Amino acid sequence: MLKKAKLITLTLAASIALVGCSSQSTSTKSSSAEKSSATQELVVVDWGGASSVAAKKSQYEPFEKENHVKITVVSPTDVGKLKAMVQNGNVEWDVVNSDTDVALRLAKEGLLEKLDYNIIDKKDIYPEMVTDYSIGQELYYTNIAYNTELFTSDNHPKNWAEFWDTQKYPGPRTLYKNPMGTLESALLADGVEPNKLYPLDVARALKSLDKIKKDVKVWWEAGAQPPQLLATKEVAVAAAWNGRVSTAKAQGSKEENEFNQALGMSTSWVIPKGAPHKDLAQKFIAYVSKPEPQAAYSKLIDYAPTNKKALDLLPSEVKQRLGQTEKNVNPIIIDVKYWSENFDQVNEQFNKWLLQ
Amino acid sequence: MEKTEIRTFPTISQRHVSVRIPGLKWLLLVIPLIYTFLLLYFPIVNVLKLSFYDQTGFTLHYLQEILTDMLYLKVLWITVKTAFMVTVVTLVLSYPIAYLLVIMESAKMKKLILGIVMVTLWISLLVRTFSWSVILQDHGIINDYLMKLNIIHEPLKLLYNNTGVITGMTHILLPYMVLSLYSVMERIDLRLIQAAQGMGARPWRSFVQIFFPLSLPGVMSGSLIVFVLGLGYFITPALLGGQDNMMISKLIQQNIQNTLNWNLASALSIVLLATTFLLLGFAYWISRFSPILKGDN
Repeated sequence: MLKKAKLITLTLAASIALVGCSSQSTSTKSSSAEKSSATQELVVVDWGGASSVAAKKSQYEPFEKENHVKITVVSPTDVGKLKAMVQNGNVEWDVVNSDTDVALRLAKEGLLEKLDYNIIDKKDIYPEMVTDYSIGQELYYTNIAYNTELFTSDNHPKNWAEFWDTQKYPGPRTLYKNPMGTLESALLADGVEPNKLYPLDVARALKSLDKIKKDVKVWWEAGAQPPQLLATKEVAVAAAWNGRVSTAKAQGSKEENEFNQALGMSTSWVIPKGAPHKDLAQKFIAYVSKPEPQAAYSKLIDYAPTNKKALDLLPSEVKQRLGQTEKNVNPIIIDVKYWSENFDQVNEQFNKWLLQ
Repeated sequence: MEKTEIRTFPTISQRHVSVRIPGLKWLLLVIPLIYTFLLLYFPIVNVLKLSFYDQTGFTLHYLQEILTDMLYLKVLWITVKTAFMVTVVTLVLSYPIAYLLVIMESAKMKKLILGIVMVTLWISLLVRTFSWSVILQDHGIINDYLMKLNIIHEPLKLLYNNTGVITGMTHILLPYMVLSLYSVMERIDLRLIQAAQGMGARPWRSFVQIFFPLSLPGVMSGSLIVFVLGLGYFITPALLGGQDNMMISKLIQQNIQNTLNWNLASALSIVLLATTFLLLGFAYWISRFSPILKGDN
């Protein structure tokens, strides 16, 4: 009898455990259904870390209060998971923050809902960051950064041609081990006009990279690398993400951003196809695209707003930190449309060049 | 119900129990098997299917692209080469440690050394990788000391090349090798060595002819574990390597998370899996010639 009881318990435990795998997804749904009468629920996916904390304070919480919504934040963004969710018809996410070029690819694969521009006001957002399926959330740069003990604020590489000039500005370099942005830098260094970059002349870009290859000590792959390499003087000049450098500088590292010829990149908000609370998701995107929440966010973090009106709400020292001063208001924005269509093939050429 | 049960098993309650226990054992086996099947093999097969099927139906396009494009073959070669070198270095470093653990008499020291080896498993991979970049850099402790002692005048290039990758990966994979070696060596009867020495063999000879051959199964299993794990690494090579330290798992990850080209990612995985099986098959084939490795031990 005892044995039998044991057996039954065991089988039960096993089956519960098996069911447990699927219960995670169902539990969120049932709880949202229960609450829907009182407050609505919205699942927002972002990159986590400091940017998520800043967004919570400046954007998510005000939206929750204004609309009686409960926001659940999931991080980090995993577009592979998004694709799997949509393909299996089991979407748990309502709004997702994705790299803009990846967002375009998601749209092309039919994995996204269209954004409703009757609700979302797009007129002050950089037009390069607005598509039928995605809208820019934050602006950051891949720009020149330098060690301030090796170079001064007057005497340092101020454009990509000078970055390439290792005679005048000696010292090892580091570049992003990714063609997006790196090839643009190479072409600008070779004298291509910023407004004539696209479609990229890949062969010319690689030829330009040939000239600096021996001085590129590190091909970085993680955003945390360039500020560290600059701080320890492993390299003298870097192509880096501005936010990482300004954070390191705030913590006492001897390094600085140069925003001239900075290459603007963005992340975007998207809604997965079949998201459980699509309408609320549209409202959410409409809210966080407004100038006030965007300015509030940029005050807390090293990312600039995508809504140009938000700049008027920022104090000048914040604009300075984010590279949003008068002379930089028209940055070179990386053409994500080009990259979403050509990344595969260009990346292959770039990787081949690296392995030569 | 109750009635029939009583009638079928009226007197053999003793046997009834002994029959039940094997059934329980089967159940214990079947449940994890179903688990593994559902959660591991089923998804894997589904993902691998993508390398042959896309929206247009059956296709060999992706596999063909990989096998005809020098880029992918080159990266595959670099991956295999890196994993192999890491295996060799790990083995050379681990063997003395494991040997020391076996011949050591103090149980306290044994625990301490094992603890030191194991502790590296509990520290985050990223932390360890970044720590290596601090130690190995141009003005890191190694180069600074060597330069202060006037042994070298230019910093050694320890980072952003193969040296960096192999140092970092070896550190991470070392515990697996030590444990595999130790588990086999521990079972070697040390009296055999005493006997050999009693018959007049010198220590090195008793080691080469008796201890080392008996430890080969550990060498084999440790090397296979480290090699296979090494094939899948990409974070450490990415952070410590140079421009040509490109691992195939990095390309797979890029295709899954960035370009969303799951078909190509899946085809790359198949190629990596096939290469792994091929190399494991080769190791198995070699081991057939050794009576010790065959598993008679």
